[in-house]
Amino acid sequence: MAIKGIRDKIAIIGCEATKYGEHWDKNQYDLLHEATMGAFKDAGVKKEEIEAAWVGIYYYFTGLSGATVEDILRLDGIPITRVENYCASGMDAFRNACYGVASGTYDVVLACGVEKLMDEGSSGLPGFKIFGHPVLPLPSAPAMFSMAATRCFHEFGWTKEDLARVAVKNHDNGSYHPKAHFRSKITIEQAMRAPMIADPLGRFDCCAMSDGAAALILTRPELAESYAHADDYIIVKANAISVRTNFPWYVPPGGPGADFTSFPSTVKAAEMAYKEAGITNPRKEIDCAEVHDCFTITELINYQDLQFCDRGMAAEELKNGTFNWDGETAVNPSGGLKSFGHPIGSTGCRMLQEITKQLQGRAEGRQVPDAKIGLCHNLGGAFSVASVTILSQRD
Amino acid sequence: MAVGIKSYGAYLPRWLLPRELIAKAWDFPSIPGTKAVASGDEDSLTMAVEAGLDCLAGFDPKEVDGLYFATTTQVYTEKDSASLIATVLDLRDDIITADFTDSLKAGTTAVARAIDTIKANKDIKSILVIASDSREPEPSTMWEYGFADGAAALLIAEGDNLPLIIDDYYSISANVTGPWKRANKDKFIRTFEVKMDARFYVQTITKVMNEIMKRNNLTPEDINVAAYYYNNPRLHGRIAKMLKFQQGVAQNGLFLQIGDVGNPMPFMLLITAMRRPKEEAKVIMAGFGDGADAILMHVQDRKALRELSKTRKGVAGHQKSMITLKNYNVYIENKKLLEKDRYIRKSSAVTMWRDTPSVYKWYGYKCKSCGTVQYPAQGHACVVCRADNQFELVKLQKKGKIFTFTLDHLVGGAYLDTPVPRCVIDLDGGGRVLLDMTEIQKPEENVKIGMEVELTFRKQHEGAEFHNYYWKCRPLRG
Repeated sequence: MAIKGIRDKIAIIGCEATKYGEHWDKNQYDLLHEATMGAFKDAGVKKEEIEAAWVGIYYYFTGLSGATVEDILRLDGIPITRVENYCASGMDAFRNACYGVASGTYDVVLACGVEKLMDEGSSGLPGFKIFGHPVLPLPSAPAMFSMAATRCFHEFGWTKEDLARVAVKNHDNGSYHPKAHFRSKITIEQAMRAPMIADPLGRFDCCAMSDGAAALILTRPELAESYAHADDYIIVKANAISVRTNFPWYVPPGGPGADFTSFPSTVKAAEMAYKEAGITNPRKEIDCAEVHDCFTITELINYQDLQFCDRGMAAEELKNGTFNWDGETAVNPSGGLKSFGHPIGSTGCRMLQEITKQLQGRAEGRQVPDAKIGLCHNLGGAFSVASVTILSQRD
Repeated sequence: MAVGIKSYGAYLPRWLLPRELIAKAWDFPSIPGTKAVASGDEDSLTMAVEAGLDCLAGFDPKEVDGLYFATTTQVYTEKDSASLIATVLDLRDDIITADFTDSLKAGTTAVARAIDTIKANKDIKSILVIASDSREPEPSTMWEYGFADGAAALLIAEGDNLPLIIDDYYSISANVTGPWKRANKDKFIRTFEVKMDARFYVQTITKVMNEIMKRNNLTPEDINVAAYYYNNPRLHGRIAKMLKFQQGVAQNGLFLQIGDVGNPMPFMLLITAMRRPKEEAKVIMAGFGDGADAILMHVQDRKALRELSKTRKGVAGHQKSMITLKNYNVYIENKKLLEKDRYIRKSSAVTMWRDTPSVYKWYGYKCKSCGTVQYPAQGHACVVCRADNQFELVKLQKKGKIFTFTLDHLVGGAYLDTPVPRCVIDLDGGGRVLLDMTEIQKPEENVKIGMEVELTFRKQHEGAEFHNYYWKCRPLRG
């Protein structure tokens, strides 16, 4: 019988993320080099110790294969794999790295992610000339998610102002983080007055398009004590990915997600991760979370799908401060995708890096008080790919 | 057995341009009336589909044995349109299709050839003839007052009890002085001497109608309806006088209201006149362009014609729901008379061909296990019950209600001031689809959850350097 799960089998012993933003003067290799070398330094490992690596990259123009890592690090022929799974690419690279360690195949591995978006222009995700069916409508990413907003407005009575509150909170958090893309606080009025991108989502409802990279070093807990963070390495409690219908994403009535008010892949990934981690009351047990706020509406729906609050209550709970950095469940203390930025392949690793630092009490931006257990969540594709990872302080 | 007209249909685009706006744009003296203007995502082929659907409403498309398409504004010069139109109309594939092009009488010529084909071939009992034109006038010329967009269809069929029976046709070939458009050279119509053009027009069309009356021992008093092409109301009146038609016989309303629609014009004049037909009325329909055709018919079944006028939108039905443009710029934009960089998507002629049932013919896939209708075909497992490969093709309906939507300002990475409504629609009879909406004014106010929409076949883009057609939705047209 298979030994199921990876709970308590992996330790994060080092991590680093670059500043996110418009790196006009740097390419993907510069960014990935900065992140990986930073992670080695943080862990106190030499690059020669790395036995295998996985890199999350979404767009082919950032890098086609594992050689993207080899070309900057020259790791002397170790196995390196590019992992692509929409916006969960980075966290899936981490998942693969976890399995490499948990299986006993490797002692020390690298999980990293990078994306270079700005070279393709900054207005909306590139690639709409390469994807898709010739004539079926190809809505922009904000357009797809805004259809969920339209339905949530209709079902729950949420408003533009409720969406704006997500942006205001995340910009507020991001303003404290030196590595965040956008570092200015905004007001509800500003958010609501912004030009429409895909009605009802305006410019402040959409996350930043950014360049950036992040990296983590993993090993087994019993080996972790011989590295730099012997006292405060972080334990992986669970990691789950759920992939559901990507196309047609307008699922017919009766199918999963047909009501457009919940993302079933998130629900499923969360259920799997909570089960593995032994979490029964996420709202109480999770101290801080980096969740996928590609759009403000996504964050509201995430609260519900991740069981942080009851269905339909997300807007009210946010208004009440439940998800503020000092609230019951701190959500996106880094500023989230909204303010920190979203270089796709990097994001999952960047979230894990942020939560690692939060649990270590070394947050670079806002430190969530007394954070012991944290969660990272990505949602990618046409609502189809979700990943949830749960981290905790070492015993 | 006789041959006649079994059904008809028409299409007029959504927009009407008052001629005074053209006059104002160029500081010219105005002429009265309005003209029909297509949207930017329409062409002769998409309008032909609309007219064809109108004509075949309530009929089984599988019973039609051929499709002739007539236009001067063909969307390809190599590759016919008739076969694609027949595909979208869901006709059988063991049928004959042909394009009749390059002349403004292509429509009447196609009718004459349809008559011949049906008479000569015992297996061919009906041919759908669709005429459609979307001519581009050179801005600031007299052509701009005339050229309009539209399509009309006649279902020519064998039978003794048809609404209209065709008695005879007669044709003239004449090489005239103009106008013309050189292949691969001219964007706009050229002419050498308009007075000569007018003279040829009057002579030829008068002669063809005179000859057909003579051949059939008819006098002008015998004719109840004369539906002949014209692009100049003054000349139209002169012809009626020369032929000694009685008052009200020569159909003359359309130029003023919808303009010179080109090939479909004789069809439209006929369709308009057949709303209130006289018992056994004698009808001449005539087309002109480097020669002329006259088709002689008589009303066989008034009741059937009345019924058609109720079940087809025809000309009048479309006219009712046309919207008058408030400025000339929208017209320029619709007709793509301004050069602009336009978003080009990736495409594949192979994918389009393979997806013919879903993309062109509008079929969905019904899961035999749980009954869910899904669209398009994707993978092999049901998205609801997950059963493997239990799908059967089902024809989808072309009406539905909006379940959710957005107004997308980002198209292909470029920001648009005017958003594209993207709509998730639950079709009547099952199936959830995603379609862009066209011809919606003030979408911020007018697009709503629960809104009823209907499908319309439109040109989407020019990816891979061919015309990529697909369905859009639009608010119901009255």
